[in-house]
Amino acid sequence: MEAFRTEGLSKDFGGVHALSNVSFNVEVGEHVAIIGPNGAGKTTLFNLLNGQLPPTSGRIYFFGEDITTMSTHHRAHLGQSRSFQIISLFSNLTVLDNTLITLHGTKRSRFQMFRPTNTYKYLLAKAQEMLTTIALWEKRDELVKNISYGEQRRLETALTVASEPKLLLLDEPSCGLTSAESADITDIIHKLGRDITVLLVAHDMDLVFGVAERIIVLHYGHLIADGTPEEIQADPRVKEIYMGIEENTGNATAS
Amino acid sequence: MATAKLKEAIKQPWRGQLIRFVPYIAGGIILVVLPAVLPSYLQGIWTKFVIFAIFATSYDLIYGHTGLLSLGHAAYFGAGGYAVALLMLHYGIDSLWLGIPVGILIGAAVAAAFGFIALRVSGMYFLLVTFALAQLLFSITWNVRWLNSPGMMGIAGLPRPDLGIPWFSWSTISLYYFVLVIFLICLFLIYRIINSPFGYALRGIRESEPRMRSLGYNAWLYKYIAFIITGAFAGLAGVLFVYYNRFISPTHIGIMFSFLPMIMVIIGGSGTLLGPVIGAMIIIFVEYFASLFTPERWPLILGGIFVVAIMYARGGVSIHLSRLWEKVSYRYGSV
Amino acid sequence: MEAVLLTFLNGISYGMLLFLVASGMSIVMGLMGIINLAHGALYMVGGYIGWTIAVQYDLNFGLAVFLGGCAGGLTGLIIERGFLRRLYKQPNEQVLVTFGFVYILSNLCVWIWGPRRRLQFTGEALSGLIYLGNIPFPVTRVFTIITGIVVAVVLWWLQDKTRFGAMVRAGMDDKEMTTGLGINLERVSMLVFFLAAFIAGIAGVVGAQLLGVYSWLSTDILVLALVVVIVGGMGSVQGALSGGIVIGLIDTVFKTLFPQFSMFTIYVAMIIILMVRPSGLWGRRI
Repeated sequence: MEAFRTEGLSKDFGGVHALSNVSFNVEVGEHVAIIGPNGAGKTTLFNLLNGQLPPTSGRIYFFGEDITTMSTHHRAHLGQSRSFQIISLFSNLTVLDNTLITLHGTKRSRFQMFRPTNTYKYLLAKAQEMLTTIALWEKRDELVKNISYGEQRRLETALTVASEPKLLLLDEPSCGLTSAESADITDIIHKLGRDITVLLVAHDMDLVFGVAERIIVLHYGHLIADGTPEEIQADPRVKEIYMGIEENTGNATAS
Repeated sequence: MATAKLKEAIKQPWRGQLIRFVPYIAGGIILVVLPAVLPSYLQGIWTKFVIFAIFATSYDLIYGHTGLLSLGHAAYFGAGGYAVALLMLHYGIDSLWLGIPVGILIGAAVAAAFGFIALRVSGMYFLLVTFALAQLLFSITWNVRWLNSPGMMGIAGLPRPDLGIPWFSWSTISLYYFVLVIFLICLFLIYRIINSPFGYALRGIRESEPRMRSLGYNAWLYKYIAFIITGAFAGLAGVLFVYYNRFISPTHIGIMFSFLPMIMVIIGGSGTLLGPVIGAMIIIFVEYFASLFTPERWPLILGGIFVVAIMYARGGVSIHLSRLWEKVSYRYGSV
Repeated sequence: MEAVLLTFLNGISYGMLLFLVASGMSIVMGLMGIINLAHGALYMVGGYIGWTIAVQYDLNFGLAVFLGGCAGGLTGLIIERGFLRRLYKQPNEQVLVTFGFVYILSNLCVWIWGPRRRLQFTGEALSGLIYLGNIPFPVTRVFTIITGIVVAVVLWWLQDKTRFGAMVRAGMDDKEMTTGLGINLERVSMLVFFLAAFIAGIAGVVGAQLLGVYSWLSTDILVLALVVVIVGGMGSVQGALSGGIVIGLIDTVFKTLFPQFSMFTIYVAMIIILMVRPSGLWGRRI
């Protein structure tokens, strides 16, 4: 079953063609990595898929439905969940508050104005379970800006998964992490069920090869390769683009 | 759960128990007991403080919690006040039971109209637009004859509201307690809103709107609703103000007046429940003292306090008070 | 026919004053990302100093204009260096601080000059009328138009033809990139702020010919400036100029034709722009 499909997706910013005629589809349960040099359009693609930006042309279908002009929050209710390249957790709120707000996002109770949040026992239990799994329950009352960067990344990735989405859009989830922390992220993704489709932007090849069964390569806004990791590694066009990267396996430096 | 806590509390040394209640006792004395024994002009000041506490708390919902810096908050306050004043002036309706709902509704309606226009833009522009819209209302009240008592600016000589009880007539102290009750109700409602999922969402929007959207929250709708709620509470404060002051004028919609809830929130501590209340208390009482010694220099003092507060007292008084409170209860109480 | 021309010229001269008032504020908004709510107060300070020079000491009006500008500029510099600078990267707080100064400056002026309103004044050379055909037109208004044109040309030249202007426009577009290129944006901001305050001070004296000087000018002028910026768009000389002229004409025409509605027309124009083209006539897309 098809999770989503793009047809001729393009995005122009003034004279800059960030994405040109990108078309591909992804089946439910696939773990796909999007790679490409800086400026290739990876984050732009995510912004279009998640609704932060409207495309200049082209269409997007999500589980058969045309979502091209749908608002971001509506897409979240359809089952999309996204992490951001620059951590965008609520830095002046506590770990627990961040979690509760995330969990309420797709629930009707998010409009409730009269009942205190901490009376939602079910959500509180879920938050506890999730935070305990990533070893942040003890720090639940800490402000997010006061926990370490690695812990913030871990929290953000875990929160992206917490709403039980159908499509997970992870934008550089291991950016700035040590290899040990990065392995945590790989773990989290592996533990996901086969119903969850994962689209991942990454420079970290360990993460890419550890998680993805399929790799899509973008270059200057064009989709130039799409295949299994072996196929991509053998592809001469990809090798040409990534000449520099062979010396740089493991964590990327500047993204 | 509750009985376990009670047993815990009883086991602690009596000092500890007493310390826990100090803020409530202090609050009770200041708000309930003290005014009864004060001379009536001071009771009036207390009434003013409580009214402004409602006004400032309403502002904090949109500023401290939602993170929207809006100018021209007096528009909703004034709209509510003018609505009630006009009812009295032109239709002889002075029933409190009609006045209060009308004021709340008008305040909310103006906020709904202004919010719709203002939320089309963001950031600094939002500030500009809220300001200009409030000025529009200001100029209307200044120029339209029907909105003023004959031959003057503003509406004067307003009676106290009619409670519907034939033998009852207002005194300074009864008006105060009435306003206090309304204030406590408002405070409770705001407390619930702040702690509800809706309130949490507002703070999330304050922190990162894009993230909230990708989580499934319709950020615009939340901001709009918060704006309307703010307007409703401000309108209520405006009604109470007219009942207390018996006079309303375009000044009460003007920009200088809009400034007051802002400075109260900043001084008291934004994003908290009691910060605006403390800020209101400080400003109203400092204003009173200034009026005794240097009334002409009050705006200068106010501006000076404000600038100093922004530069040096960022969290507001309530942060310092709560830290002090933590130290005291730690030393004496083992909470 | 003459009446139409006269109204038109009045509208243009008022519009030029509005341009003078709004130009500085608009550029500061575009570059520093903050609204200087004390801009009207700086205008007022310039006006009071100008009155002191021109009326109290009976000196040359041009000198009054210049010193009014200096007074505005100096006050603005104090606000920027002493306070805004320390609230780096906190735009909300910066805006609030400027609001505090509205109170401080207004009350200080009342303290120094007393609460009485000062009537319109101008230089001796400027009092009187010139005749365009049969139409008498006050020289003060001609002076206002000329001043407006001169300032507009100078600002436009600075904005488009100098390196300094290029730095300012770059800073408006992309702060990080600009500082990354080694440009001291702090210093540029300070100079822009000073320039804006200076122009506000000049406007205060020029405007005093039409409006006089009084302490609540700080809010009256602020409102006008904000409406002009909303209508014209922020961040450019062209925006302030087009906004000023449009508002000046609309306001004058309606005051002449329909005096009972005069108060609201500028706000109606503002609301229309907000609904139809929120970034303003010349503004960058919001």
